[in-house]
Amino acid sequence: MPDPVARSEPYILFELAGTSYGIPSRVVQQMEMVEHITPVPNAPPFVEGVVFLRGQVIPAINLRERFGFPKAPYNLRTRLIVVRAAGRTVGFIVDSAREFVPISTETIQPPPEGIAGLSGHYLAGIATLGQRLVLILDVEAVIGQGEAIPTPI
Amino acid sequence: MDNAIGGAEEPFLAEFLDDYFAECEEHLVTIRRGLLALESFVDKPRVDQSLLEELFRAFHSLKGMSGMVGVRSAEQLAHQVESYMRLLRTGKTALSAAALDTLVEATKLLEQIIAARRHNKPEPAIAEGMARLTALADAGPPAPAVPALTDFGPPVPAVSAPPVTPLPAPTPASAPIALTPEERSQLSAALARGEQAWWVEFTPAPALAQRGVNVNEIRSRLQRLGELIRATPNITLQGGISFIFLFTSAAPEATFAAWANDGVRYSAYHEAEPVGTAAHGMPMPAIEPAVVSSEKPASEPTVASPTAAEPAAAPPTAVKPARSAETIAQPAIVVRVDLARLDSLMQMVGELVISRARLEDALRRMAATTTLTPQWHALQEINLAMERQIRDLREGVMRLRLVPIGEAFERMQFAVRDVARENGKSVTLTLSGQTTEIDKYVVERMLDPLLHLVRNAVSHGIEAPAERTAAGKPAQGRIALRAATAGDAVIIEVEDDGRGMDSARIGQQARAAGLISGDAELDMAGLLDVICAPGFSTRAEADLTSGRGIGMAVVRSTVLELGGSLSLWTEPGRGSRFTIELPLTLAIVDALIVSAGGQTFAMPQPSVREVIEVKPSEVTVLERNELVAHRGSVLPVVRLARLFGLPEEDAQSFNLLIVGSGLNAVGIAVGRVHGLREIVVRAIADPLVRVPGIAGATELGDGQVVLILDAAGLARLHRERIR
Repeated sequence: MPDPVARSEPYILFELAGTSYGIPSRVVQQMEMVEHITPVPNAPPFVEGVVFLRGQVIPAINLRERFGFPKAPYNLRTRLIVVRAAGRTVGFIVDSAREFVPISTETIQPPPEGIAGLSGHYLAGIATLGQRLVLILDVEAVIGQGEAIPTPI
Repeated sequence: MDNAIGGAEEPFLAEFLDDYFAECEEHLVTIRRGLLALESFVDKPRVDQSLLEELFRAFHSLKGMSGMVGVRSAEQLAHQVESYMRLLRTGKTALSAAALDTLVEATKLLEQIIAARRHNKPEPAIAEGMARLTALADAGPPAPAVPALTDFGPPVPAVSAPPVTPLPAPTPASAPIALTPEERSQLSAALARGEQAWWVEFTPAPALAQRGVNVNEIRSRLQRLGELIRATPNITLQGGISFIFLFTSAAPEATFAAWANDGVRYSAYHEAEPVGTAAHGMPMPAIEPAVVSSEKPASEPTVASPTAAEPAAAPPTAVKPARSAETIAQPAIVVRVDLARLDSLMQMVGELVISRARLEDALRRMAATTTLTPQWHALQEINLAMERQIRDLREGVMRLRLVPIGEAFERMQFAVRDVARENGKSVTLTLSGQTTEIDKYVVERMLDPLLHLVRNAVSHGIEAPAERTAAGKPAQGRIALRAATAGDAVIIEVEDDGRGMDSARIGQQARAAGLISGDAELDMAGLLDVICAPGFSTRAEADLTSGRGIGMAVVRSTVLELGGSLSLWTEPGRGSRFTIELPLTLAIVDALIVSAGGQTFAMPQPSVREVIEVKPSEVTVLERNELVAHRGSVLPVVRLARLFGLPEEDAQSFNLLIVGSGLNAVGIAVGRVHGLREIVVRAIADPLVRVPGIAGATELGDGQVVLILDAAGLARLHRERIR
């Protein structure tokens, strides 16, 4: 963060299975329409495949699959959010993404203990935007755990 | 830009444009080199004539060629530079530093215009550059170096009736163009030397092109014979394209009369209406075929001369101008080839490889069903000879792609000079290993990254002269650019003896930007990671130099993409060195494009010994193994689709890619083999998608990722599965 005293940070909001999520925009490199994704055999199931991004081959993670939601077919609103974290570049496939909002750091609460499901592991916090709840993703956790999952052979 | 020749004859034009770009590139190389050399003559009373001559010729050719393809802005710029060079050449003005800068700027502008044309992008505005050049030329002596406007009378045609009726300009595209003062002076000078002026029209045709007769060829023929004053594209009455040259030569007419079969027509040049220049069009379209007009113009000069008391009267053949001799004296030992043509050549070789594989297959089948006859052995012998020959051919074509890195290095000279000037630095660039050969594609991709590293070295690395002197260093900074081959790799180094990098400060900035955490001091690799992070800049504000660069992030990703690596050494006060290691050939490999389970894969050809077609009935199942008999032994079958969990197809037959040797040989079963392609190998770096059996990724031109198979990895994976 360029300015440590900033009280708010821009976030990219996206939708997944009817819920709003946010990722700090500083880790977002770009957003793309989902075009052809080449499946990679024997990769973890939540990895949809690979795409080219500026000459680099990057994995595309299906966040629905990652969070244990049923998969949904791609449509015109489906987006690939390219994030860069921990020295890696990874794409997230989400239902839709269009909002870019500043979220003040005070409104972000730590995730409640009782939150169930897989996505609980991947949350950095929960923010309140007016009436709306926005789940803030822990990007490193989302892309990190895949390494621990052994390749099914 | 006017669209004078757009559309009409696309194939010709496209081909011609390719040549145009290639030739422009050559002239620009000469120009860059020349301008650098010119620098040592700044403020000297006299500039080296041969250098000026070379530069002049390069600009002149650029102008002519640009005119021909209708790139008017480049034509105008080059023309303006030429005018100034003429002043320099005659010693009417001295070369100032500002003038040299203007020339450098104009050259850059030319590069941009040509690049814009090449990539169909909007051209940069030239008004400012033109204005600066004009100011330069005007700053010379008030009397222009081209006083020719008046002393060029119409000596020839005034008397003898023109053999060819001047027609109005054929179409608006080649609208009436009067000769410029320069062209006039060139013309009158040539006539004064006793040369004859001719209009020559060349109409390209596919049949001619096949024989190698294209507009460039004609153009160089003319240049060998004399001086080209103007070259213009023209839309013929039939809507086709032709090129019209005005040129002067002492060569006898019979020389070009003999070109009638090469699509060349010509007529003597004469000023149709000496006074009414406004109506003075190009008297071209009615030119008769070369043979027809052959007798008349030859006698013309002699008939004409008595009236005008001019030396032009000398019969053309009597005066042999030195110029034609000297231009002929340069034999072309280098052939320019478009990379795309090499690629298609490579593809054809690939098809040949596959055809031979089929031949071998047929021979084998024959051997399996019939007793071996002497004829079979004769065929087999030919087949084996072909295998060797095709391999040599393939290697030969691959070698064609290798180019010395020197030319790329020389461009850096230009950049260094430029950036040093902008930043008030004094720098010398030393080059070594220019003859190191590297794949053309790799060189082209590395140009911008190298440029960036060199610029960075000047603007960030090298200190200001005063600072250097204070530190006990020579005031002039040194940057070394080296290339060398080491085994299968090419190593390129960019080293400066500047201030080095302050790892503590960079670490601090990186922490502030959230790029790294922890307090540990950055090591070289960490430092490199930080400076290559997207958006990271060590300067508080983007200066001019770094602002237009591509960034270290792109430098690194380009190197990685080409299958290479980038490393850094730096020491405060002593300098920095970037080392780029690129695979000589590894980044580009031939691969069989295959499909299995509905997905396309690429299998590097070097790993494949053989491709055979197999029917399901030929497969023997032994417990969990599938085997086929091949060349007297059994070959385990590795079904790619099954290994990869893809739907398996029921087909009449499938292909086996035989990889490995001896006991390790396996046949990888794929559905179809689509062909052999040259692919660029890209690494798959992310752990999420680094899976056994996949060596990397490539794309085949549609932007989609195609996975590259790893033969050894597949065999290993297969063994684990069946165990």
